[in-house]
Amino acid sequence: MTMAEAVPAALGPGVDRVDGRPKVLGAAHYPSDVTLPGMAHAALVRSTIAAGSIVRLDTARAADMLGVLTVITHENAGRLQKGKRNLFFPPPAAPLQDARISYHGQYVAVIVAETRQQAAAAARLIEVTYDRDEPVLTLDDAAASSQSNPYFIDMKRGDAKAAMATAEVTVEGTFTTSPETHNPLGPFTTVAQWHGDTLTVYDSTQNPFHVRAVLAASFGLAEDDVRVLSPYVGGGFGAGLRSWPHTILAALAARVVARPVQLSLTRPEMFTGVGHRPSTMQRLTIAATRDGKLVAIDHEGTSTASMGHEAPTRKPPTRKAPLQSLLKAPDEQPYPITAGTAAAYACPNVAARDKRVRLNIAPIAHMRAPGEAEGNFAIESLLDELSYELGMDPIDLRLRNYAEVQPQTGLPWSSKALRECYTVGAERFGWAQRDPTVGAMRDGRWLVGYGMAGVTFNHYQAKCHARATVHRDGTAHVCSGATDIGTGTYTVMTQLAAEVLGLPVDRVEFELGDTRLPQAPQAGGSGLTTALGSAVHNTCVALVQRVLTLVSDDADSPLRGCTIEDVVAHQGRLQHADDESRGETYSEILGRHGLSELTVDGDSAPSRAEAGVIVGSLVVSRLGRFGRKLVGASHATVPAGGFGARFVEVRVDPELGVLRIARIVSVNDAGRVVNEKLARSQIIGGTVGGIGMAIFEETVRDPDSGRVANATLSDYLIPVNADVPDIDVVFVGGPDPANPIGVKGVGEIGLVGVAAAIANGVYHATGRRIRSLPITIDKLL
Amino acid sequence: MRPFEYIRADDVASAVGLVSSDPKAHYLAGGTTQIDLMLKDGVLEPERLVDITRLPLRGIRRHGDVLHVGALVTMEELAADVTVTEQLPLVREALLGGASTQLRNMATIGGNLLQRTRCRYFRDPTVLSCNKRSPGSGCAAISGAARMHAILGASMHCIAVHASDLCVPLVALDAVAHIQGVGAQRRIPLADLYVLPGDRPDVENVLQHGELLTTIEIPLLPAGTRSGYLKIRDRSSYEFALTSAAVALAIDDGVITHPRVAFGGVGTIPWRSPEAEAVLRGASVNTQTFRAAADAAIHDTFTVTGTAFKVELAKRTLVRILQTLTEAG
Repeated sequence: MTMAEAVPAALGPGVDRVDGRPKVLGAAHYPSDVTLPGMAHAALVRSTIAAGSIVRLDTARAADMLGVLTVITHENAGRLQKGKRNLFFPPPAAPLQDARISYHGQYVAVIVAETRQQAAAAARLIEVTYDRDEPVLTLDDAAASSQSNPYFIDMKRGDAKAAMATAEVTVEGTFTTSPETHNPLGPFTTVAQWHGDTLTVYDSTQNPFHVRAVLAASFGLAEDDVRVLSPYVGGGFGAGLRSWPHTILAALAARVVARPVQLSLTRPEMFTGVGHRPSTMQRLTIAATRDGKLVAIDHEGTSTASMGHEAPTRKPPTRKAPLQSLLKAPDEQPYPITAGTAAAYACPNVAARDKRVRLNIAPIAHMRAPGEAEGNFAIESLLDELSYELGMDPIDLRLRNYAEVQPQTGLPWSSKALRECYTVGAERFGWAQRDPTVGAMRDGRWLVGYGMAGVTFNHYQAKCHARATVHRDGTAHVCSGATDIGTGTYTVMTQLAAEVLGLPVDRVEFELGDTRLPQAPQAGGSGLTTALGSAVHNTCVALVQRVLTLVSDDADSPLRGCTIEDVVAHQGRLQHADDESRGETYSEILGRHGLSELTVDGDSAPSRAEAGVIVGSLVVSRLGRFGRKLVGASHATVPAGGFGARFVEVRVDPELGVLRIARIVSVNDAGRVVNEKLARSQIIGGTVGGIGMAIFEETVRDPDSGRVANATLSDYLIPVNADVPDIDVVFVGGPDPANPIGVKGVGEIGLVGVAAAIANGVYHATGRRIRSLPITIDKLL
Repeated sequence: MRPFEYIRADDVASAVGLVSSDPKAHYLAGGTTQIDLMLKDGVLEPERLVDITRLPLRGIRRHGDVLHVGALVTMEELAADVTVTEQLPLVREALLGGASTQLRNMATIGGNLLQRTRCRYFRDPTVLSCNKRSPGSGCAAISGAARMHAILGASMHCIAVHASDLCVPLVALDAVAHIQGVGAQRRIPLADLYVLPGDRPDVENVLQHGELLTTIEIPLLPAGTRSGYLKIRDRSSYEFALTSAAVALAIDDGVITHPRVAFGGVGTIPWRSPEAEAVLRGASVNTQTFRAAADAAIHDTFTVTGTAFKVELAKRTLVRILQTLTEAG
């Protein structure tokens, strides 16, 4: 049985979201829609200092307010255990355990009341007296402790320093990006309910099994005694990948008042409570020959992270062994910026290093293309500078250094259509019409700039489980405990199951968002479609196999003795591939065997090459040419993530500093596109996020207090419709052989490269090289 | 949210009486600012809310060369008014650029004129230093992340901007506010309604507590006058102004007559500029004139790190709207 023989009607551009109708009808219940009998409401009090400790908490007035059930502070919260160590998704410090404050916005009290309004009103009456320490709030604060190689994935090949020394052309620059806040539309909400010692939680999360693990650890429960439900999540952008203190506090509050409790974050709380994209600073040098051959890249990236509750504030930098500090200061998420640098171009000498600086700021979180977006901005901006230095077209420069094989390991890619991204994009955009002279293109008062950037995105796949059932009525039910954060997981998985089972899409129901279902990884890293889609595919294949086993010696079945290679599935029917008249329906088979249904469990796992690429890259880093020989002897293939090219036309009013984006062409190699409409939506959404990163988004902190100064959707700017031009999304390339469904993730790649392409367009229009995001009016005046 | 009394007023006199007699009473009209400040921000905590939306303060009437606009006319209604559309482009453009359609359909003209500042230091009660909210407590915005803040009429005491777009053309047009107090009415030129913060930023206008703005008179421009409103902001829509300028003028034989100039986004109050008007009056149409007017207008500024760029941006904003108006036709 092969894909080509399966039902094409299940795939293609025209399949609407299966969750569209319930969402439009209001029948899709997000966590904030969950109402349970007897449910109380919680509100939070946040610290108004960034470092120090609580001296006194006066809760009397709040406790006396109408409707207030309880006030929980560190003085009465009781002990909560910290979640198990997790390198990717470090659990939060257990909330309300002591008087120490390590960031502005840290929770200091929870009020539970009959209504949300009562809880919020009472929260304003809590008076907190602090003993304030001087906080460490910026990268350049001398008191900030900086950690080198914090994630152990610094990479090098060749000798970048030596190559720089003799290079014909060198360009360098310092690039900065601002902290950003995810701001999914749906405020994160937890509804918690206890039944004895078992806990049920409805939560806004992209990672329900992680939430389950953290809650179980917090309250000393077995994981099976915690159930996390998240069938609908109002967006995430990465904010839902970690577990957050408010989720623990909702469960704590529910236990204290012995009633279900709903806790819904306010928009300002969303700016400190569910992570943010950290600010970064990058120093980058690129050296090349006169004819445009790259000879060396030296890239150092520094990102900020929360001080962490375990670490005392204002601690002098320590020289602890990095491994120890990584494992012992585990409450921040790794945030490498230069991790993709070694894989981007065929350059013989590369050094890529990361640093982390810990500050008195709220915890960070991965946000759509974390690190990739920032690293790409620096690399693709500086390559543009190099193209001007060389007098070479920026596309030609990139093609001149095209990485035919994965450049760090020397191993072949599983697939790569980046060349097509450039050529197709240039054609559709009309790149040939570009006059490369700075400031040469005008439209009335507007200076016109064309900018482009290339993208090489990392591959990611995690282990995933699924379950598939075919019913006697000819319908199927497929499930896995993943989440659909609005990306289309429900729809795509329904399609993939329907494809294998040979059922119309409306005969397949896909269920997700419940930790009682088979375990799935987070909706993150652009890896869920690959992991879950492969699991669904494998499980459905196993189900067909199971059906064939049922009839393997069934004299009444025309499929007797058939193996899976012999059959195709079509319209609810299994039939011989070479004679469609010889077959029967699922209903007929199950009916004859007296079965109401047939269920199988299945899974998918990343290939060994997944981890092998990282290991191989590090081996080359450490052992140089010898390492490359070792890695080459593995004859492995590098599973490729997506590739892309961005083409942007900007308009700049030079007198007023006003920058507008006129049009964007986004070309992506996304492997096999299962649902073009949804994939296109993902790329468009990513592009809009890229516009935000490039010209609007910045979480501003007060320099003295560390308070987020623009924590509303009126003050924190994201693009509105009027800022978003026509976005031409094109897919190139074909199915990727690294996974059975041929896909590559599209959740993040759309964002990557947009900022650099815009900045490069601004330079082309104005001659001003802006290396600091966002590019606002004041920078262009 | 603290519990409060809600009363729907039936007539103007009782509304004014209900608020005047209670220092903790506020009016409620469109609610687009009041409700935010009460429920989301927790800055206002009235004990009585007097709903005036049923009062007979709607309707736009023309009396000769003056437009009488009821305080409860919505932004959308005023923007769509035929007279405004045909004769007051600067007012229409300020309204359309001032808010989204949804907000324009809720927000009233009276509420727009008396809106509170958007300063996030004023709007966050956890910030202790705000002279506007707690007189004498200082100004956190001065040393904070100020960008959407004032450079004119500002001082160490307060840099909160008056964020209304509509007020900018209205002060330029010499609009007049009708005020109803307990048993007494008065007319106040809009430019005189607002008070510079000085050392009392909590005092924003000359109204007594309970006085109700009932009508705004907008004088129409003479035939042949050109006018417009230019708003500069980061986003293309749905954002307050970094800088804006409202201008009206006529050109007679190559010479500017009847100039009217006001700025938004830069002043602690809507900022009429007689200095710019003096430069423009009788001057010939060219960029040097415009630049001289801008230089005359933007002086004695008070800037902090985040607002320094507005000095030049405000000048260029005026130059641009003057160029645009004088190039046309």
